[in-house]
Amino acid sequence: MATMSRLRAVLIDLSGTIHIEDAAIPGAVAALQRLRERTTNIKFVTNTTKESMTTLRNRLSRIGFDIKQNEIFSSLTAARNKVQEMGCRPMLLLQDSAKEDFKDICTDDPNCVVVGLSPDSFNYRTLNQAFRLILDGHPLIAIHKAKYFKRQDGLALGPGAFVEGLEYATGVRATVVGKPERAFYQEALKTMSCVPEEAVMIGDDVEGDVQGAQTIGMKGFLVKTGKYRLGDEEKISPPPEAICEDFPAAVELLLKEYL
Amino acid sequence: MASGNWYDSAIEGVLLDITGVLYNSTDEGGVPIPGSIEAVKRLKASGVRVRFCTNETQCTRQQLVDKLQRLGFELSVPEVFAPAPAACQLLKARGLTPHLLVYPGVLPEFEAFDLGAKPTCVVVGDAADIFNYETMNNTFRKLLEMDPPVLISMGVGKYYRHGGELMLDVGPFTKALEYAVRCEAIVVGKPDRNFFLGALQDMGVQPQNAIMVGDDIVNDVGGAQKCGLKGLQVRTGKFRPSDEHHPEVRPDGFVENLAHAVDLLLQHRKK
Ligand SMILES: [Mg+2]
Ligand SMILES: [Mg+2]
Repeated sequence: MATMSRLRAVLIDLSGTIHIEDAAIPGAVAALQRLRERTTNIKFVTNTTKESMTTLRNRLSRIGFDIKQNEIFSSLTAARNKVQEMGCRPMLLLQDSAKEDFKDICTDDPNCVVVGLSPDSFNYRTLNQAFRLILDGHPLIAIHKAKYFKRQDGLALGPGAFVEGLEYATGVRATVVGKPERAFYQEALKTMSCVPEEAVMIGDDVEGDVQGAQTIGMKGFLVKTGKYRLGDEEKISPPPEAICEDFPAAVELLLKEYL
Repeated sequence: MASGNWYDSAIEGVLLDITGVLYNSTDEGGVPIPGSIEAVKRLKASGVRVRFCTNETQCTRQQLVDKLQRLGFELSVPEVFAPAPAACQLLKARGLTPHLLVYPGVLPEFEAFDLGAKPTCVVVGDAADIFNYETMNNTFRKLLEMDPPVLISMGVGKYYRHGGELMLDVGPFTKALEYAVRCEAIVVGKPDRNFFLGALQDMGVQPQNAIMVGDDIVNDVGGAQKCGLKGLQVRTGKFRPSDEHHPEVRPDGFVENLAHAVDLLLQHRKK
């Protein structure tokens, strides 16, 4: 395939793409090193609502990935940026581990609501408090709107269900900040000094990663690891820019044809 | 139809919402809304037929009637239409076994069902403190085990007023489950058409000769209007000033409270 323009930035999903839980995808550590020799304009983007930046980075470094804190852009970072940009004091429906990313933000007398996956906050009393704030005209920000996720004991309700409930009760639409929202990718690219057409996203989620990125003009590489299921590449139109066995194969292709 | 006011038409029957119209609920039980006790008496004495249509699902009808009688209201169980009996009828008609996500107070209404058996549907009510991640997730999983998932919601109200504060009603929790499971709930109680029509049939009044008085603009007023009744919005209970310009529902009239509605109705009543 002839490549029209050279790429100048690489966005990489974490879970399912370079690691699964505490194990690296085979060859991914070395592949990342090869990629770094060609470009330093790399960001790791992830839709976590539970893990703070520090938690993410520690886990990755334990597995063998050398990643700097400012190379990670998560949906929690996006929410934090959003709250700062709006000058709001958030009520955080987040687990304690995620609240760490908001530790220097004032949460007294809250005037907006941030919702992530937070079993500890999804009780009647806390949901009522959030509901009243939103009904009084304060904005609702959702880290993402996943319907459910996979837990060791089976499928479990995601934050999306509770966001949907609050939206219904108040008649207010949430601002969703995570993947696959356009704003998430635009925000992630902000400090990478390139236009979307010069950036690629590598991920295992055909909708969240590939379609989300391609919607704003980026290229999307789908890897067949993690949550990938046979035939996923046919679920979106236009199709992924490339379909790769795994992350090392994606890096090979990038080095050969795109960078 | 007369061009003018709601009270100029021939009204033979009135459906009354309970919470927010007769009384405001509190942790201690409840407080009658001023004038409402007398208003019910006057209405009944006038010969207008009256039924009570509530979406209350935290207790049985008997408990609700006992509570209201203690507060001074004149009403009896057969006059009260509530979602739990409507849900039971539906369960029986379809031969369903429920998993219940409800407030413990309403459980006696479901005593005919084997709650230990493998559920074939989920029934959700205003479970208040019972709503938490654990109970919601458990219910979500029950729905996933059904093919297709059957979700029955006792009302879909957004919120109500309790002890001076607005509280989430069952609706948001039903919507959460619908979203997660990708299904559509069957609604019993207001604003289900059959619920209004059942109450009308019981008092032998046609929709065009009936009026619904409620504090919930969507479920009471809008729901009744869709069945051909007139819908009257009170400025008590969960009423908020923004209801005056609601994007979807235009009530046939606004009144300060139930007493005001009954004043107007009885003053203009066609003999
Ligand atoms: Mg992934
Ligand atoms: Mg009411």
